[in-house]
Amino acid sequence: MRKLQSSERMRELMAGYYMQGHQAEFNAWITSGAPVELLYAMDIYPVYPENHGALIGATKLGSYYSDFAERNGFSRDLCSYARCDLGCVFAGTSPIGGLPKPTFLFACNNICNTVVKWYEVLSRIFKVPLFILDTPFIRKELKESHLRYVEEQLYDFIKFSEKITGRELEERRLKEVISKSIEGVSLYSQCLLTARNKPSPMNCFDAFVNMAPIVCLRGTEHAVNFYIDMKKELEERIKNGISAIEKEEIRLLWDNIPVWYRLRWLGEFFESKNACLVADTYTNAWTGFGELKSTDIISSMAEVYTLSYLNIGMDRTAEIINRLIDLYDVDGVVMHSNRSCKPYSFGQYEIQKKLSVPTVIIEADMVDERIFSEAQVVTRLEAFLEML
Amino acid sequence: MEKFFKFSKFFEVVKVGYLCNYTPKEIIHSAGFLPFRVFATDKPIERASAFIQSYSCSQARGALECALQDDFFAFVFTRSCDTLMRLTDIFEFVGKRVHNIEFPTKIGNVEYYVKELKDFVKVLESWGGEVSFERLMESLKLYRELEEKLKKLFSISPDYETAIKVQQIDVRSAIKLVDEKLKFAKKEEKPKVLITGSVCPYIKVYDLFKEAGFSLKDDICTGSRFFEFSYPEFEPKDLESALRYIAEKYFYRAPCPTKHYPGDGRFNYVLKLAEDCDAVVFLLVKFCEPHFFDYPQLKEKLEKMGKKVALIELEFPVVSLEQIRTRIEALKEVIE
Repeated sequence: MRKLQSSERMRELMAGYYMQGHQAEFNAWITSGAPVELLYAMDIYPVYPENHGALIGATKLGSYYSDFAERNGFSRDLCSYARCDLGCVFAGTSPIGGLPKPTFLFACNNICNTVVKWYEVLSRIFKVPLFILDTPFIRKELKESHLRYVEEQLYDFIKFSEKITGRELEERRLKEVISKSIEGVSLYSQCLLTARNKPSPMNCFDAFVNMAPIVCLRGTEHAVNFYIDMKKELEERIKNGISAIEKEEIRLLWDNIPVWYRLRWLGEFFESKNACLVADTYTNAWTGFGELKSTDIISSMAEVYTLSYLNIGMDRTAEIINRLIDLYDVDGVVMHSNRSCKPYSFGQYEIQKKLSVPTVIIEADMVDERIFSEAQVVTRLEAFLEML
Repeated sequence: MEKFFKFSKFFEVVKVGYLCNYTPKEIIHSAGFLPFRVFATDKPIERASAFIQSYSCSQARGALECALQDDFFAFVFTRSCDTLMRLTDIFEFVGKRVHNIEFPTKIGNVEYYVKELKDFVKVLESWGGEVSFERLMESLKLYRELEEKLKKLFSISPDYETAIKVQQIDVRSAIKLVDEKLKFAKKEEKPKVLITGSVCPYIKVYDLFKEAGFSLKDDICTGSRFFEFSYPEFEPKDLESALRYIAEKYFYRAPCPTKHYPGDGRFNYVLKLAEDCDAVVFLLVKFCEPHFFDYPQLKEKLEKMGKKVALIELEFPVVSLEQIRTRIEALKEVIE
């Protein structure tokens, strides 16, 4: 695989981001689908336990940290991001020396209800306030009552954080952050879209590695600058005919959270078969946040964050995947049935029957490497690629 | 389908299945349907495995198995855990008529939930049901009578077979059944164990506790959480206020870990229940995230209260009753 230079820059950027957390006056632990813009607008540093979990997975320490949580009574069947994060809290450290202690916790269940339980546990451990942003699940239509329900809570959250920090949310500052968020998401989307080129200058493994800024730094200048550079690099690659893998014969789409501890292995496996995973549903999920409006911010925030990718029904999910199939002109879909993520995985058996190209399902876990059966995965993928 | 409805209505068996205890069964009943709670059964799970992964809980897989084999008119899913949220679409995919009610995860906003219930009434009407203020009040009255009688029965001697049966028959017949049981209920003075957990439709599991010499108190979704409610103090005057009454009734019921309560309401509820018990057993269905997340911290608090605590993990159909018996007997020995 041809490594992107941006990946190195991303590491430096994220190292700086994690360092900053220990110096921040106020910080909030936040879920990956929550409206981080509100925190940045109030100069509250956002800490992402899920990103931390991914990092632990990528360093192949998932089972090591999970074990600390399991010894404290947390079941091995629970989400492995949660287990790793709690494990690090019990261990008092992590690959980056642990996360800074939260001032408060902010969980939005637009990605799963697991985060509600996980953050309740954290709230009891750290004895800090927890705000739950409760988004109704939009199985079919988004109703006005759903929007008003979420909007009211967003105003409640502003009051909640103002009370804790003693700071006031300034409209001017919020507008600035929103505008940076929109710009950052737009650039990020353009980076992903370069994979439409044949051969593709990037694959989903590049996208996974470089998604941290759009998750953690969305709404800041850092994310904007990072994706400007990444886009330049990808456009350069297209201009010079440099592709992500040596020989692209098959184009594929990945569904679900990555198998973090097997990124390189999977990348090399697919490359050896001349198959390029040009896109994925996971990193594309953040492109939806580009729909935010810089006017009528709170109500547009309610809508955008309620309609997040994991908070919609199966019909809509299948529609989105089919759109990605067309957009990236892929030949097949690899679905990761992720033991740790029920809302992402349940329904895959049905969704695969609604897709316009062949699919294969592999069983694994995003962080817990004990679940991974290499021989089984190889057999399934090889049979699938031969069939394609 | 309307023809089917009319035909079935004649026999009063238009079954509307539901899985979650937060489902407003009074509204379903008032519309002329039979609210029928779907549980995993004794039968092995075969067909359902083609539609949902093996790491879903066996209650979800068992209910799907049941739905694939039985003659339900429709299913109502009430937002609780992630599995049920996705199961709605899976049921629809296998050709079932479904509706999902978005019960808030965060307990508090009654106004929002009343709107959700109004939409539910419209759905029931589109299914051929009729909801009026008078009929809804009648259903509310009947269910309250059933709940209070079950509460009385359980305060004398918990009867899980009855508690489960009443969730699958008409409320009037259910009241008669509980009346019968009340005639013969006797209180027993034995060491008391609190069982806490999600669903357990297997009567044999409760019998094991009794056989080991325990009397039971519970915080189980198929036991007391079916009938423990705090009723609003106002008298509904019209359909809208009756829906508000239902919203409040279900908001302030025995709390479930799938909901977020201010002030750690769920933990405080369980700790209070445990006060007069000698031991606490977590009876948890494998893969039930909401309960398993609570377990370590709740266990710690219970142990600080001086309670003996045990965890029994269940999968349906239960195949190893003797293993469970050993665990329960060991707990009894520890207490003695």
